[in-house]
Amino acid sequence: MTGAELTIDLLAKHGVKDVFGYPGGAIMPIYDALYGAPVKHYLTRHEQGAGFAAVGFARSTGKLGVCFATSGPGATNLITALADAMMDSVPLLAITGQVPTAAIGSDAFQEIDVLGMSLSCTKHSYMVERPEDLAEILQEAIHLAQTGRPGPVLVDIPKDIQMAQVPFHPWLAAEDTLPKLDPNQVAIANQILSEAQRPVAYVGGGVQAADAQNELMQFLEKTHMPAVTTLKALGSVLPDYEYDLGMLGMHGGKAANLAVQECDVLVCIGARFDDRVTGNLSKFAAKAKVIHLDIDAAEIGKRKPVKASLVADLKTSLPQLDCFVTPDEWLLHIESMMKEHAWRYDYPGEKVFAPYLLNQLSQKMPKTGVVCCDVGQHQMWVAQHMKFSHPSNHLSSGGAGTMGFGLPAAIGAQVARPDDFVITVSGDGSIMMNIQELATIRRNNLPVKILILDNQRLGMVRQWQQLFFEGRYSETNLSDNPDFVQLAAVFGIPGQTVTRADEVDTAIDALVNSQGPYILHVCIDDKENVWPLVPPGAANDEMMTETVK
Amino acid sequence: MKHTLTIALKNQSVAVERFLRVARHRGFDLTKMNLEMAEDAFRVTMTVVSDKPIHLLTSQLNKLVDVKHVTLESQLQQQAI
Repeated sequence: MTGAELTIDLLAKHGVKDVFGYPGGAIMPIYDALYGAPVKHYLTRHEQGAGFAAVGFARSTGKLGVCFATSGPGATNLITALADAMMDSVPLLAITGQVPTAAIGSDAFQEIDVLGMSLSCTKHSYMVERPEDLAEILQEAIHLAQTGRPGPVLVDIPKDIQMAQVPFHPWLAAEDTLPKLDPNQVAIANQILSEAQRPVAYVGGGVQAADAQNELMQFLEKTHMPAVTTLKALGSVLPDYEYDLGMLGMHGGKAANLAVQECDVLVCIGARFDDRVTGNLSKFAAKAKVIHLDIDAAEIGKRKPVKASLVADLKTSLPQLDCFVTPDEWLLHIESMMKEHAWRYDYPGEKVFAPYLLNQLSQKMPKTGVVCCDVGQHQMWVAQHMKFSHPSNHLSSGGAGTMGFGLPAAIGAQVARPDDFVITVSGDGSIMMNIQELATIRRNNLPVKILILDNQRLGMVRQWQQLFFEGRYSETNLSDNPDFVQLAAVFGIPGQTVTRADEVDTAIDALVNSQGPYILHVCIDDKENVWPLVPPGAANDEMMTETVK
Repeated sequence: MKHTLTIALKNQSVAVERFLRVARHRGFDLTKMNLEMAEDAFRVTMTVVSDKPIHLLTSQLNKLVDVKHVTLESQLQQQAI
């Protein structure tokens, strides 16, 4: 068996049925082995598209996402997707071709030190140096990507090793090296909880990574603890939970941020005190004792000191927290804040109000549907105004904030979940970053829906220029955008443009009920901003809510 | 604050690049380093300076797949020597 054949064979043995990629010189033996193999390959139109499709596949299923690229520029085009997967802890395997072993270090055609480039954007990476190492490396890579805190792993395989005869040795993971709960820390955490008067659960992406939504909901339902959620964790707390405060942080809901600022115990469940969550860190939850549950010991005390740390898989650690019931006085206060600061969708005028549109979409689309966002104002409106019943139904580039994420991620999600409704919600800026992937949708007849909220601006940057740069609108005007419906039509994708508020409901019906791919292009007010906003350097209770136009 | 660490690495040259990258990125300046190749591992002793708590470095180093273990010599011990 050649190295290339072994690579495909091992993927198939590990249950990988779908991969995304783009061929080229140094990975041709692997593409040759793919020919007729039981692993289906989806050709994207750019390696970054392949990387994000694999991320979308992984995030919408919890399974390993796999992407291929050739050496040199093929591999460098994957780097952004690797970095994105690193920031958001996504189980991803990237396999890249490399120039033959003898040519490495000679500045050969399409030779780039991909191993060197991968160091800061992967959980681990390899360059295979000997044919006899290939089987072990691939098996270890597949294991590492999905174990502990998940992340991207890259395997760079020189062309001669792909073509060489290679032995197969089964590889077994070393004894379970995952952290074990410290009973003393569990006791301290339970002692703190027993004295809590105003507790809040701060829920992060670890819940999806650990597949611990059931354990989370059991904990919340028993304790009635008010819950706030990070961008990445949206959907972890079920939408009908009585004390679901939604997203916290820079564009979080007012009730969510105020609850955290006022709490006396903050139970951090698989989150990492990201700066977009905390605002001014020294003023974040300043009165709270922190209990931190995370599988990654390096997150404990990284940004915020803790009183107790439960370093383990959340499936194990969450049930260790004793049941206690949140005091009524605090819950009454939470309820009153939720009422006072509820989102409003009444909006004067004829223009389309994006929050209303997204809220309507959320109500009309199937509950099992997947929403893949791009990055910017529309992303925050989705987080604020749409409801999700599982984190695998909301894919948003959180840590990296990568524009161009949405369309290829939706392709990956649709491949992974062919019977589910999959939509990308994008902006007129973001959609152009990986627009070439419309060809992948057409090539594979994927029924991906596309919603573009078009304000003819790089809206979030424009908003900051308005608020913090004295209205100097440097390079954010996109009024020369192409006609997006006409553009999609060239790729065989039908759709329509709407410009008025009274067209929204009918247009959403057309989008939701369309059979194949569909584009809904919505022109919105170019002066609309995302509110509330915690300005730079401010505490989360110092939100700007004023509607500045 | 100055700290001296001993790191045992798997026998791979890229492992050295990995931990140096982590030290730089996490805000620890290298002031001294010694690397020896033992039978089955690289053994590195390095001194770093930072105003950040040292656990922010050791916890990140411990996550590296190539790192077998990290031992920290406390500042006090260092002064006694």
